[in-house]
Formats: sequence, structure tokens, C-alpha cells
Amino acid sequence: MSDIAARLGLGSRTSLRWAVPVLLIVILYIVPELAGNGSFRLGEYEEVLSFLVIAVALNIAMGYGGQYILGITAVFAVGAYAAILCAKYHPHGIGLVAMCVIGAVAGILSGLVIGLPALRVGGFYLGLVSLFAALAIPTVAQQWAFVGADTGIPLYAVSGFAPKISGQLLYIVVVSVVLLVTLFSWALVHSRVGHRFVALHTSKQLATSIGITAYRTQLLAIAISSALAGLAGGLYVYTQQFFAPGSSSVQFAILLLAGMVIGGTGTITGPLIGAGIILAINQFFTSFQQYNGIVFGVLLLAFAVFLPDGLMARITVLSERFGIRRRPQRGLAPATVTPAMTAAPPPIVNGTAASSGPATVTAAPPAAQLPSWPPVIGAGDSSPLVVENARRSFGGVKAVDDINLTVMRGQIHGLIGSNGSGKTTLLNLISRFYSLDSGQIRIGDNRLDNQPAHAVARSGIARTFQAPKLMLHETALENVVPAVELRVRCFGVESVLRLPRGIRTNRQARAEALEILQALGLGSVLAQPGNALPHGTRRLVELARAIALRPSFVLLDEPAAGLSPLELELLAEVCLNLARSGVGVLLIEHNVPMVLSIADTVTCLHQGKLLFQGTPEELRANDSVASVFLGIDEPLEASS
Amino acid sequence: MTLFLTALFAGLAVGSVYGLIALSYTVVFNSTAIFNVAQGDLMMAGVLVSYFCLDRWHLPQVVTLLVIIAVVMALSLTEERIAVRPFLKKPGLGLGWFIATLAFSLIIETVASNIYGQNPVVPIPGALGNGTLTIAGVHVATKFILAFVVMIVVMVALEVFYKRTWLGTAMRGVAEDREVAALRGIDALRISRLAFMIAGLVTALAAFVVAPIVSADVSVGLTYGLKGFIALAAGGFGSLRGCVIGGLLLGVAEQMFDLYVSSNYEILAGLILVLLVLAVRPSGLFGVRTVREV
Repeated sequence: MSDIAARLGLGSRTSLRWAVPVLLIVILYIVPELAGNGSFRLGEYEEVLSFLVIAVALNIAMGYGGQYILGITAVFAVGAYAAILCAKYHPHGIGLVAMCVIGAVAGILSGLVIGLPALRVGGFYLGLVSLFAALAIPTVAQQWAFVGADTGIPLYAVSGFAPKISGQLLYIVVVSVVLLVTLFSWALVHSRVGHRFVALHTSKQLATSIGITAYRTQLLAIAISSALAGLAGGLYVYTQQFFAPGSSSVQFAILLLAGMVIGGTGTITGPLIGAGIILAINQFFTSFQQYNGIVFGVLLLAFAVFLPDGLMARITVLSERFGIRRRPQRGLAPATVTPAMTAAPPPIVNGTAASSGPATVTAAPPAAQLPSWPPVIGAGDSSPLVVENARRSFGGVKAVDDINLTVMRGQIHGLIGSNGSGKTTLLNLISRFYSLDSGQIRIGDNRLDNQPAHAVARSGIARTFQAPKLMLHETALENVVPAVELRVRCFGVESVLRLPRGIRTNRQARAEALEILQALGLGSVLAQPGNALPHGTRRLVELARAIALRPSFVLLDEPAAGLSPLELELLAEVCLNLARSGVGVLLIEHNVPMVLSIADTVTCLHQGKLLFQGTPEELRANDSVASVFLGIDEPLEASS
Repeated sequence: MTLFLTALFAGLAVGSVYGLIALSYTVVFNSTAIFNVAQGDLMMAGVLVSYFCLDRWHLPQVVTLLVIIAVVMALSLTEERIAVRPFLKKPGLGLGWFIATLAFSLIIETVASNIYGQNPVVPIPGALGNGTLTIAGVHVATKFILAFVVMIVVMVALEVFYKRTWLGTAMRGVAEDREVAALRGIDALRISRLAFMIAGLVTALAAFVVAPIVSADVSVGLTYGLKGFIALAAGGFGSLRGCVIGGLLLGVAEQMFDLYVSSNYEILAGLILVLLVLAVRPSGLFGVRTVREV
């Protein structure tokens, strides 16, 4: 089994990891035998099972995609009504597959009707709009004769409708559908599509900085999840042969949510287990039903506050503690960077820097040790990145005031200035997190300032953030993989379904990400989750992610802040190596000695205005910069 | 014309209640960046309290009002303590509070339905009796007029509070940036408690004026809560006047839908309104800021 996992690009896992799911699957199949059967009971089990499909659907949108489509029962109801109406009017030609497909299609449509407008605002809007839909649909159905009004549609009373699958066989089929859907959700999460979901869930800026289209990705998460919820509707009406307004409600939606949260949002099996428990209690302990809401409410509240990761996460932690499951990278010291290049000739840093700390450590990599990273995106075009007369104000503050700047390919352009001088604003303008008030930003003739942020990344501009943005629950490797996937093209569906090209690109993305991380000396922390990494390492992982785009230009926002001397040297060498590879580097830094030692051109900003632009040598000789920015009365002297 | 005017006044009255709930949301959101999903059920609790006070125990209206305020504020503060504060203490806000406040609303609703049981829906006497006033040739129930007046008074009071007092300014500042507010000596947790108190008060008033209009029923909580959100989304997030306009717009739209389309599908009016507003003008009619990225 773990062999399969490895071949699918999962990395090796211990075989015990498979014990729990296998056991659960066996139990699922033989539940009717254990509990004594009877077709009435079977029907109830099948009802719960089709609800589990909704839980899986909700988990894809919410747990992985971060889209709070809480009123997913609205989608379920639409899918169910569509399927049952088709069966009612064409009873002869329709079977389980057809009903599931009809349900899924209707589900996607209704999901998009809710999602398209609500996503324009984002956040909890989707949650509330979908809850309102979950309230409105049964209310409307109650009055609408076409869908059977209050009494609903009894399919068993429709002459001519004879389900081909029934009894024990139907139960087995339904269990298999649930398992298939679960397998699908696993495949989805571990594909390039799933990577995009998680990146976007973590931070919209992070996602757009590696070229992910936020709105489209959110819609995709909702569409996939709606398709499954609609499919659950088809499955439900096939097994129950009945649908009425009472079959879906807001309270039911909250119940599913509770199951998912308790089991473990954002895990594959958690929502199934949690929702299974909750639904079973609700279904089979009816004497207690009027208090169920209180119990579930308290549980949901307690988990949301104290255990937001749910039971499965807790079980994972416990099983690691008792050694049932291998902790990733056990035996390694807590994540520290062990740069590959510790004993090497002194750095190029020998100007002013030599006297100022970092550079006094006598170690820097020889150029040969870092592989070349020539641009892949926009490789054919060697035009510089040009900022022309850029202006941007916030209220009365002119944050960027008429700035001109050119970043040549293959050169390092240092951008210095005191806090609040407009450096980061300028960078955000280039990567289109802010809009220009006036001016132009372009690569050659390609205007960037009228494009969305993700398009800037796709034009070959990578960036890092002042406060590193990593996916904290993903490993270092998984943090870099999505950036590679932007340029290793393949359709999402190929990646999810593991079609030949999908498998190839999935592997290639991991291999390239691995290579870059190892080049940066991060080989020992590959499997560490982001939140276990120390600050400096996070910066380097972020740097690796930017490099992984293989961009034409890299914008680095104070990459040296908080780095150890060793890491600082590595950073300088990485910048130089990027420039050697033909990448244009825009380096925002407070560490002026470092900037002066590696930059080809330096721009100094002061209160949004351009104070100086020229070579490091010219800067050292410039009185105004020294006095205004560096707070020194005499010009900096270039020491030997 | 008479039909139209009757529907219009009824719409304005119900819309005023939506507006009041939207105002409660805004008070909390302005100070905590949290949208309290349980607000509708807090109001429902108030409605049930007024049923018990007036119909069962025959207490005077003033006492009833005080009891409602006490109960709703207490619930609101309890919610703040157990379902909201833990999230305010964490660095990133996330959306965990959404689930927690939703859970709290489920608890209130189930407890209420167990207390209230199978009691029939009964009309509760209004504070100003069951009289009517004649406006533009149409008889308007005093309970409708009371709802409208209370909402306007609450809105003006909140505007004055936010614009004219230091505390009001502080309360608006906290949600913008908790850290900066803390540096200015503003205790974000105290502000959050205060916000839930004020929101509780507004919700209690909403419960008091809506009780004679909707009759006591456990299910009103969720419905009114969601409609309050629609009022907010239509009017514009963060704007007090937006809440009021959005509420009135929704109330009137529903009544017009009843009158000219079909009263069976009244709930569709809200759904259509919110989807249209979001599609055409996502920030709402009077939106002053968009919802923060999460």
C-alpha cells in the first residue's frame, strides 16, 4: 500500500496508517450484518451514508478551500429535487447513475448561483448567503405544487419506476459510492488543484503572488463541492425514493457542520467519522432528539474554541506520541538551516560591510554550488522592468511620489530608505496588490499596471513578503510545490485523476521543488510543517518558493530581516546567483552594507520621493543620502 | 392604492426590525470584526421572554421591557465570553468565530424550543395597545409606528455616540487594528464586551417592538437573523444609515413581493435582493468599507 502511496508521489508512510481506514471500510460494509438487517434499517443506513457524501463535499470547500458554504444543504436539496423530478417524469429510462449525474449538474448550477455573487465580497458572506438559501429552498418548496409542496414527491408511488438495484446490493453500492467520493477528495487534495485551494485558504496575497487566480479557484472549490452535494441528493432520492421540504433544513446543515468540525476539518477521514457519529446519534437515538441541538451545539462550540483541528488531529498527535505513527523526520534536531556551504572563500562582501557584523563571518558559497536558475516565465523577452512616474497616495500621504526605476535583467537593484519611505508600497504597486494613481509599470511593452495581481506573477515576477507568508500546516516542500506547478502546465483534472501527464507533472513539481530547497541547504527540513520552522528558515523557504516560479524578476521585501549571519550570506549569494542566471532582482533592505556590496544599482527613497539613484560607489560619495537617510554627517567611505 | 400603502407601512415596520438587527450586527462588527451569527436568536429569546411576561404572567409593558433587556444583554455577554473572546485573544482572527457563534445560536434555539414547547403561536399585545393611526387615508397599527420610531431613535443615538464620544471613536478603531488600538491604551477585550452589551440592548429593543408583530415562535430567530444580514449586505457594511435603509428596503420589497407576485414565496424576495445587490454593487448601497480579507 505504502508502495502505491510512494508511486503516487506521497512519500512513504507506515503501514499502520492504513489500518484505521481499512478497518472502518470493513465495518461499513458489514454494519447491516452486525445490527441485524431488514430492508427498513438498510434504508436508514443508506440515508446516513448519502449525508456523509455531503460532509465530504463540505469539507472540500470549507476545510481545504476555506470557502464557508455552510448552507450546502440548499445545494443538496436542489440536486435531490432535480433527480427526483426527472425520475418522476421519465421513470423508465433512469437509474442510479443518471440520478447522481443529474443531481451533480443541478448542484453545480445552484452552487454557482450562490457562490458567484457572494464571492465578490468573500469571507463570511458566502456562509450567510448560503444559509439563507438553505432556509429559502425548503420554504419555497413547501408551497410549490410542482415539487409536491409540503408532502413532497414519493417516487415509490410512481408507476414504472423500478430501481434495478435494491436490498443488500444497493447498500454495498452506496457504501462504495461514499468510499469513491472519499478517495476522490483525497486525490483532489493531493493534486495541484488541492494545493491551490490550500494556498488560497492560507492567504490570498500568497496565492496571487504565485499566480493563482483567487476568484476562479474559489469558484472551483465551490463547484466541486456542490457537484458532490448534488450527487448526494441523487443518491438520497434513489435510496429513499422520496424527497420533501423537511428532508433538508438549516438545522441539518449545522448538524453536518458540527460533525465535520468535531471529526476534523481539513482531514480526509475526520469529517466522515464526525458526521457519522453525529448523524447516527440523531437518527437512531430518537428519544433524546429534542435535546440533540443542545448537545451538538455545546460540542460544536467546544471544538471550535478548544480543538479547532478536531478529533483526527488529536488522534494523530496521540498516535505519534505512542509511536504508532512515525513522526515526520524523527531524530532530526529542530528545524535549523545547515547551509550547504559553510567552508568557502570569503564573500564578495568586502566593502563597508566587512566592518559591520554579518560579513565578518568568513564563509560564503562558491558560485558553483548553486545551480543556475535562468528565467522560464518570460524567458524570451530580455526587456527590463520599468517603473515610470509612479504615484500612489493613501489619504493625504503621498506614499510613492513620482518614482522612476528600472530593474535590468541579470542585475541586482537595491532599494533602500527609512521606514515609511515607500519601498514596500512601491513593491506592492509592482505586484499589483495596490493600484497606481498615475504612472506606468511595464516589462518591455507589456503593461502590468492594468493587470490583476495573479497576472503579474504569470508575467514572470515573483516576490517575497516582509512578514513571511507560508502555509503553516504544510511542509516546507509542499510550500514550494505550488509555485513550480504554475509553470509546469497540465490540466487540473489530469493532476487529480492521476492521468499520465498528471502523474508526470505532479512528480516533476515535487522534484524541482526539492532541488531548489536542497540548493538552499533546506534538505533537512523538507518534511517539517511551516509552523515548526524558525523565522530565518521561513524566509528561505519563501525565497525558494519565489525561485521555484523561475521568474524573470524577483522582488524581495526585506529578506535579510531576522536572518542569522550564515543565512545572510546565503541570501547574498542567492541574489548574486539569480542575477548571474539572468534574473532581475529588486532588493528592498535595511541592511545597507549588504545592499551596497551586491547591488549593481541603488535607489534611495525618502518620504515617497526619489532621493538618489546610481551605483553603490556614487551612493557612498553622496552627501545628501548619508545625511538624510543614514543620519551620518559625512559621506560613507569605501574601506578596503 | 390603499393596498399599496398598507403594504408599504407594514413593510416599513418589519423593515425597521431588520434594520435594528442589522444595527446590532454593525455595533459588534465595528468593534471586533466579528459577525455575530447568533444575533437573530438573541432577539428570538427576547420575543419569547415578552410572551412569558405579557401573556403568561401579565406583567406591565415597562417591566417586560426591562426584563427583556436584562435577559438579552445577559445572553449577549455570555456569548461574548464563551464564543467570541477566545478568538479575540488569538493573533489571527480566522473564521472560527463564525462556527462558534453559529453553535451558540443552535444552543439558544434548542433551549428555547424546549422551554417554549408546543405552545401555540399567540399574538402578544403591543406596548401602545392595539390602536391605529390614520396616515394618508390608511389605518396604521401603532405597533408598526413604534417599531419605526424606535429604529430611527437607535440609529441617531448610535451615530451621535460614534461621532461625538471618545469611547465611540475607540470602539470603531479597535476593529481596524487591534494592535494599534492597544498601543493607544484601548483595551480591545473591554471594548468587545461593551460592544456586545450595546448590541444586546439594541437587539432587546428589536425584540420588544417585533414581539406584537410576529407572535412568539422559536423559528423567528434564524429567519430574522438572516434577514438582518441581508439588510446589512444591501445597505452596506459598516454604515449605520446603510443598515436602516437596507432594512427598510428589504421589508418593503417583501411586502411588495407579497402584493404583486405571491405571498407564498415571500422569502424569495430577500434571496433575490441579496444576490442582485452582491452582483451589481458588492459593497452595498452605502458601503463604507469592504469586509476584510480573511
